[in-house]
Amino acid sequence: MTAEAEKPNIITSSLDFIVNWGRTNSLWPFPYGTACCAIEFMSTEVGRYDLSRIGSEYVRFTPRQSDVLLVAGTITYKQAPILKRIYEQMAEPRWVIAMGACACSGGFYDCYCTVPGIDHIIPVDVYIGGCPSRPEAFFDAMFDLQKKIKDESYMKQRAERVKEQLEMIKAKTAEAKANAKEFAQEKVVEIKDFVKAKEQNLVKKAQFWKE
Amino acid sequence: MKTAEEIFTALEEMFGAKRETLDKWGVTAIVSAGYLRNVVQFLKDTADVELDMLVDIAGIDYLTYPNHEGPRFAVSYSFKSIANPGLRFRLKVLVSEDSLKVPTLCGLYANANWYEREVYDQFGIVFEGHPDLRRLLNHVEFVGHPLRKDYPAQKRQWLSTNDYLLPALEKRLEDLGYRVVQRSKEVGTNDNEFLEGSIKE
Repeated sequence: MTAEAEKPNIITSSLDFIVNWGRTNSLWPFPYGTACCAIEFMSTEVGRYDLSRIGSEYVRFTPRQSDVLLVAGTITYKQAPILKRIYEQMAEPRWVIAMGACACSGGFYDCYCTVPGIDHIIPVDVYIGGCPSRPEAFFDAMFDLQKKIKDESYMKQRAERVKEQLEMIKAKTAEAKANAKEFAQEKVVEIKDFVKAKEQNLVKKAQFWKE
Repeated sequence: MKTAEEIFTALEEMFGAKRETLDKWGVTAIVSAGYLRNVVQFLKDTADVELDMLVDIAGIDYLTYPNHEGPRFAVSYSFKSIANPGLRFRLKVLVSEDSLKVPTLCGLYANANWYEREVYDQFGIVFEGHPDLRRLLNHVEFVGHPLRKDYPAQKRQWLSTNDYLLPALEKRLEDLGYRVVQRSKEVGTNDNEFLEGSIKE
């Protein structure tokens, strides 16, 4: 008995903690690099700075497999629909980092073709300044994002989701019931009419034969 | 190799070209739009000139230019010679706002196609005889010509879709002898359906 107790193989924890722990330490970025900030991101990713220390070494080039949309560079109006579509294609939970002055505010491009900050198109979680941002700043942003993720509650969100789904189901059921009732009423009226017509027919026939 | 001065005298004699005084290197001639193709043909084919490289086509809007008289727009063509190294020449065609028309150079230089599309896109100058005069840099939904001086620089235009390039690509491939065997379900051939926007109900 004592020997078994010395080798525990069960831990108890809250689900929120476990989920957040998992999400925090495996943030897979989707690099949407359009300008020099993307070069800085490359340097963050490899060798000297090594983003894999915080579990983000997998850069996925498909929105379906990534958690963090990293917008590094100038976004023009011609590109804006593409960025929006990529954001929509990402699976939840998803976060967005705006890297560099151009992605945050349009930078020094004050012209007809540049979007003044990507927050006009998609929600942003963390902004990084700089032109371009240094890798240290990028790490800082990742830590900020990790803190933010740790504050999230999976269970609360789930409860809300379930509540929404329940309400939706209730509404649908009520609608279906109302429809069925209406349909039944219509049927009843139809049958009544049919019976009435039959009766009248019979009466007419009887009269005819009497005559 | 002829010098720029000799080319100038030849152009003045044959086509009535004028010198552009604004050019500090003195290699710019102003020609009328009607003679443009002939002038370019002459510069390209004549021995000792042989301007066989079209370097750039640029649109110019003189609306806010100080002390400017004459038509509002101009199109500037830069040429360079590979046969005679060091020989450069420039032509300028003045375009009035009433008739924004210039003959195309597409038959003479292959790269004129996209240069002219760019000038059309940014200035709205129409190149007559161009095989495919569409916008090059700006979006299909874009309204106006942004490099004109009267286009408000702070004006923002929100665009709802990305360019649908697939039909053009398929057509190009089919012209080369390929054919479409299979098309993904998500990919339709209808442009308008694609133009409805990124969010589909």
